[in-house]
Amino acid sequence: MNDQSPIDPKVSIAAHTADARTVEEGLAIQERQAVLDSESATAVAMQDTLLTPRFYTTDFDELDAIDVTPVRDDWDALIAEMEADPNRGHFRKTADWDHVDWAGMDPELKKEFIDFLISSCTAEFSGCVLYKEMKRRGNNRDITQLFQLMARDEARHAGFINDALREVGVAVNLGFLTQKKKYTYFRPKFIYYATYLSEKIGYARYITIFRHLEANPDRRFHPIFKWFEEWCNDEFRHGEAFALLMKTDPKLTAGVNEWWIKFFLTAVYSTMYVRDHQRPAFHAALGVDTDWYGQEVFRKTSELSKQIFPFTLDIDHPRWMKGLKQLQRASADMDRAQKRGGIGGFFGRVWAGTRATWAFARLYTIPAVRHSVPATTRLEPVY
Amino acid sequence: MGLFTRERETAPCTVEVSHCFESLYAHVRFDNGAVVHPGDAVQVEGPPVMAPYGEVVRATRVATITRANALERLWTRMTGDFEVMELCEFSFSEEATL
Repeated sequence: MNDQSPIDPKVSIAAHTADARTVEEGLAIQERQAVLDSESATAVAMQDTLLTPRFYTTDFDELDAIDVTPVRDDWDALIAEMEADPNRGHFRKTADWDHVDWAGMDPELKKEFIDFLISSCTAEFSGCVLYKEMKRRGNNRDITQLFQLMARDEARHAGFINDALREVGVAVNLGFLTQKKKYTYFRPKFIYYATYLSEKIGYARYITIFRHLEANPDRRFHPIFKWFEEWCNDEFRHGEAFALLMKTDPKLTAGVNEWWIKFFLTAVYSTMYVRDHQRPAFHAALGVDTDWYGQEVFRKTSELSKQIFPFTLDIDHPRWMKGLKQLQRASADMDRAQKRGGIGGFFGRVWAGTRATWAFARLYTIPAVRHSVPATTRLEPVY
Repeated sequence: MGLFTRERETAPCTVEVSHCFESLYAHVRFDNGAVVHPGDAVQVEGPPVMAPYGEVVRATRVATITRANALERLWTRMTGDFEVMELCEFSFSEEATL
């Protein structure tokens, strides 16, 4: 790859200081701030290890070989919409960005919310890196144009979240590029399945929270949620693009690939369920029941994914919620065993791992619900 | 490319870091057209390229590319897919407790 990038938000503390005008000044401030033993410093230092930079390559010849002719009309319309850039200027702070009472915020909520901001910023950043790489290495004009536009959106989202982080005294350090980076490899089709689902589930997650807070504005503990509607429309468009890419080759959604699709659906849904349940203060503050939220997001994502996948997961099956809960308990036990360490911790991990694998297998083998895939793929965000 | 031996090469590169409200990104481009393959490792030499808030910084550097040997490349191609879930975004880190 002739491009590498960032992630390792090696997070360091800088209280609104990154307004430094020079590199040296910025570094000096960060060094000074890094020794501050503030509450947020502790919280952030704990999260520091989470963000591991990863770098990817894929089969760029295969990407170049994509021919969007079968979906040309939809494709051109989508690209035109993205080029028109309906969200330009949206991601700026307006009078709607009301004051956040960080000092009065429950410490648990604050920790979880900062985790949300850092993880989201990292994800946008990683998306930007991946898309930019595909743009740089590709030679197919349709493909490079798409990835360039998506990289633009992701960098914009990352900048917006970064600003919210700066407000609470968390600075994302971009100096990681000089670290040694190893490049791993994904097959293009895996990138399609994973990023398509990630973009669509991201849309469903954000719009569900946005609609919930529209109805319950007293639960909106931070102004960033007001920007979720337009934000998730970007995610929606990115998902549309991957759906069209998959539509160009019917083999991608047929035969043995159906098993891969089912794997990704199950893995993405169940990972989301487990991760959300690890952040109880965040969901309690929003007034959201995590089980309800999960099912609501799965329902929307499944409905959307009918545009390209020939089946959906049966999330109303009796084994579904039971399996998710088993997986969640196994995951929590795994964490406890890891923290315990020693021989007891080792056996604890083996036991938790076995239960997690079993729970996942039970979820994966729930018969899927088949439907016929529509001839035209494009959808509009209507939730 | 050796089966077991790694080769090293250097490449001039441009590092671009944007630390702005409108855009937050960081990229490296090899100026000699060098291409990275699965399993290769890249290190940009010199101190970290830091962009103060509100600025885009561009720096010319040298990168050392450590080429994977044939076995490593094959291994990376075979096993990389296992990590593909990393591409998915779930809003929160994987830590069970903070």
